[in-house]
Amino acid sequence: MAKTPARLNSHALKRHETVVAYLFMLPALFFFAAFVILPMVMGVVTSLFNYTMKNPVSAETFIGLKNYIDLFQDKTFLRAMLNTLILVVVTVPAVTLFSLWVSSAIYQMKEGVRSFFRCVFYLPVVTGTVAVVVVWKWMFDGYSGILNYVLSALGLIDKNIMWLGDTRFAIWCIILIMFTTYVGQPIVLYVAALGNVDQSLVEAAQVDGATDLQVFWKIKWPQVMPTTLYIVVITTINTFQCFSLIQLLTSGGPEGTTNTVMYYLYTNAFSLYKYGYANSMGVVLAIIIAILSAIQFKVMSKDVSY
Amino acid sequence: MKKIQKALALMLALCMVLALSACGGDTPAESKAPEASKAPDTTPTEQGGEPADDVELLWWAPPTFIQDADDPAGTYEQKLVEEFNASHPGITVRVETIDFTTASDKITTAIESGTAADVLFDAPGRIIEYGKNGKLVSLDDMFTDEFKKDVGNDDLLTSCQGNGTYYMYPISASPFYMAINEKMWTDSGAIEHVNLEGNRAWTTDDFEKAIEKLAAAGYNPGVLFCSGQGGDQGTRAFIANLYDGSVADGEKYTFNSDAMIQGLTKAQEWINKGWLGNGVQYNGGGSIELFAAGTTAFEFCWGTSAAGNNAATMESNGVTPISLPFPSADGKPVLEYLVNGFCVFDNGDAAKAEASKTFIKWLCDNTENVTRTGAFPVLQSMGNLYPGDAEKELLVEFTKMYGPYYNTMDGFANMRAQWFDMLQKITGGGDVTELANAAVEASNAGMAG
Amino acid sequence: MKKNKITPYKVISVIILCVVAFTFVFPFYWIITGAFKSQSVAIALPPEWFPTEPTLANFERLFKNPALQWMLNTVLMALGSMLLVCGTASLCGYALAKKRFYGQSIVFGLIICAMALPKQVVLVPLVRMMANLRLRWLYYAIGVVAVIALVMIVVTAVKNSYNWLPAEARRDWKVKDYLFHLLVAAIAVLAVVYLVVLFMPGGLIVKTKENTPMTDTLWAVILPTVGWPFGVFLMKQFSETIPNEILEAARIDGAGELNTFLTVVCPIIKPGFGALAIFTFINTWNDYFLQLIMLQSRANLTISLGIATLQAEFATNYGLMMAGAALGAVPIVAIFLIFQKFFTQGITMGAVKG
Repeated sequence: MAKTPARLNSHALKRHETVVAYLFMLPALFFFAAFVILPMVMGVVTSLFNYTMKNPVSAETFIGLKNYIDLFQDKTFLRAMLNTLILVVVTVPAVTLFSLWVSSAIYQMKEGVRSFFRCVFYLPVVTGTVAVVVVWKWMFDGYSGILNYVLSALGLIDKNIMWLGDTRFAIWCIILIMFTTYVGQPIVLYVAALGNVDQSLVEAAQVDGATDLQVFWKIKWPQVMPTTLYIVVITTINTFQCFSLIQLLTSGGPEGTTNTVMYYLYTNAFSLYKYGYANSMGVVLAIIIAILSAIQFKVMSKDVSY
Repeated sequence: MKKIQKALALMLALCMVLALSACGGDTPAESKAPEASKAPDTTPTEQGGEPADDVELLWWAPPTFIQDADDPAGTYEQKLVEEFNASHPGITVRVETIDFTTASDKITTAIESGTAADVLFDAPGRIIEYGKNGKLVSLDDMFTDEFKKDVGNDDLLTSCQGNGTYYMYPISASPFYMAINEKMWTDSGAIEHVNLEGNRAWTTDDFEKAIEKLAAAGYNPGVLFCSGQGGDQGTRAFIANLYDGSVADGEKYTFNSDAMIQGLTKAQEWINKGWLGNGVQYNGGGSIELFAAGTTAFEFCWGTSAAGNNAATMESNGVTPISLPFPSADGKPVLEYLVNGFCVFDNGDAAKAEASKTFIKWLCDNTENVTRTGAFPVLQSMGNLYPGDAEKELLVEFTKMYGPYYNTMDGFANMRAQWFDMLQKITGGGDVTELANAAVEASNAGMAG
Repeated sequence: MKKNKITPYKVISVIILCVVAFTFVFPFYWIITGAFKSQSVAIALPPEWFPTEPTLANFERLFKNPALQWMLNTVLMALGSMLLVCGTASLCGYALAKKRFYGQSIVFGLIICAMALPKQVVLVPLVRMMANLRLRWLYYAIGVVAVIALVMIVVTAVKNSYNWLPAEARRDWKVKDYLFHLLVAAIAVLAVVYLVVLFMPGGLIVKTKENTPMTDTLWAVILPTVGWPFGVFLMKQFSETIPNEILEAARIDGAGELNTFLTVVCPIIKPGFGALAIFTFINTWNDYFLQLIMLQSRANLTISLGIATLQAEFATNYGLMMAGAALGAVPIVAIFLIFQKFFTQGITMGAVKG
């Protein structure tokens, strides 16, 4: 504030900045309000109705919070929530740590090598989930899958394993595939962020005799914190919303062990036509994600150095 | 300042690109844009023949008609539409090919947002569901006494109804049955238990002896697929026939009856012995792929479209399928069947509804269209459309085994979800009686919703 | 320099990287080779690691369909979303990160909540909305934006007209400056032409029927993508790294807000642009569900939708599917490679300026 021209007090400045800021945000906010907020409000509102294909939203079908009450007595939903939480708890740290490790391993390599690895890890993302999943599905196939073929050729198994049909393995297969399709973006971001780390600070520390590990934690880690925050939040949201993998691979089975909230929401809306109920699931999911994101923000913002 | 200029130039360039993309992207839409300027309450012309104004219809066609040689999906449909448009001035039909896997998502969204097509080709399961929910036009006036008499099969007529109203105009029907891999069954000696005479009906005991031999010879048994609902009529028919049970009695779902539980228990026993494959990983489509690739020895989800679509694959893998009815305790199998037909969405425009009816009647009365579906005519007056085709003649025998049609019962979609979940748990070793009771209870509870 | 020292840690990490990399490359490799295999070979066991009898039959079948049209649609859609997202999100993200204004926490909170909400919840209202929106309204809006841009260009040109005088400033001019002004002029002319095309009698606006809805046009996919606030969030994160001192300095130099944004902020957040551009492009490309419910006509499909229509019931032609997937994936891999370069440039530039 010391450099603020004297004629502007801080309120006037903020008012001025408010006008400027909203002008800057106008285009984005326009699209946001029109194509996200508006439909979203409609989604939240319809979750209060017994809205199905048969019953449109009207005064008669208003049921207040009944959808939400039913939701928490629905065993399938609770199981799906548990599965989703397992996915998040395993995938988010795995993706974040692995991508950080890969990026710090490759970002100082020669340009060609770095490009190569960055591309490799980004390949599953650009190839498209549907195509990649078809290949994975074949690899995990119980009869003609390559995984069983290789394992039995090596003599590690004597009987074919139904990877995606076995309650013990199915969710881990999902996690593995999810992992390969999720780490691409974080690696690209981390490489960019690590490249932006102030090199003079690193060199100064090295002159002072700091080890690589110390340099990493004391200098690089705080500087890539905004990126980490972004990656953690995005991966959490993506994992919560994991849907196409489940649909293409297991349809929630075996015995509901890979059913996620998103997939359950989808089946309710698109095969049972219970739109209101499905929307209430979406709202609950959104609230949980929002709370988690807020916590992640609070915890990690402490470490962010601007 | 120069930077500002540069930025502005970029901004404008962006505008241009977008605008150009608008031109590129919209030109087709523009020429085909549905003519909606008419007031929605346009009164229909007195007789259903030709409405006074130009009516534009949209037809959603999943790939059901068999195409010539290597033609891409939709070629035959396009030809049909052109023919119709030429012969019916005043009505313009536009066809859009949709795919099977994602059709239902698309249709659901379109119905809810009021952007549904006018005419849809589908099977009764979903059509009747839409009808019961008030999204379709009643086709009662198309089911004249004459038409009903020509069909001459009450079960088939019921399959076109929801709550007493006709919503689907049928074009053809074909049975669902099972198939076995000729080479595997011959090599293992299992073929001697199969009845290859007449209508090929066989018994559960025969089947059990056969799968034992197959397992002894080291062939992979067919799988009791249950990862999802795709093709699940196959597993239901298989289990029901084992001890002559039935999935539903017309009022309620009854797959916890003694006969059904006996069948489910038997299936569980076979899976544990390795005589029947664990199919938790597969749905009907996946299971068919295994069979067509020559991996498994038999397949519960078989029909004319599965056989036709996989013919090339089977040939290159050296698989020769033999069609069989499901084995049953008394040797009198009851088969499920597919009815193909059209429905008309209620888009609040009576003129469109009338034109749509004209269109679907025109489609269904054509014998070539019936044979293009690879199935059998619903009208007896069409007679035998496949003279000299031994396989089709066998299937005609199968059409005599049709059972009561339960796919249009309330809560059918919910029951399917219960069914595959139950099979997964049974495959995993759960208690059959307990699981069947729970699934039936949930299915019947779902009827109300 | 320390960088070049080979430590055991580095050796091990390279080995691990290579092993893991194999898992990531394999599906892509399998898709590309699968595109050249016949149906029976594609799923044979033991697997055929390399197509011994490569065939083009899959591509022949693929191109019996309007695959190139689908490709073009997909590119236009992804490009449109990408440009719009980059433009709107960078402005918004910068304001959120560096301005202190009333309602800041509300706006940001809304954005976070919106990101958390599953897209499927908003789909039905969204489709209904698109069905109600009229295509010509969009043309009017684009026209208005084009006019504003045109006016701003002219005003700036007039303001800076001393640049056009043959004064001493001219001596500093280089060829690229001439080219740049030529470009500006060309774009201005094009904008005028475009406006004429849009509004003249018989033009696009007139030709587009009064009631043509937005559904079944690429706009129905582009506009919701632009509304999705991931980009804003990302650009906010990148804008946070801008040192406040630089902004202060620019303000003291008397630079206007827009000027500051363009000359100071943009170069610093250039890596952000790169990242956002790639992410948006790829996400739009792969957002199968939105495309599925918005697009209907065969001529308006995207490549992934188009490939899905090739599937027959109960039969998967793996060769054909792989050919389609390869066709869809190869250009996007190319795009990624191109943008990678832009990335590195951005990083070095950011490092120099910062």
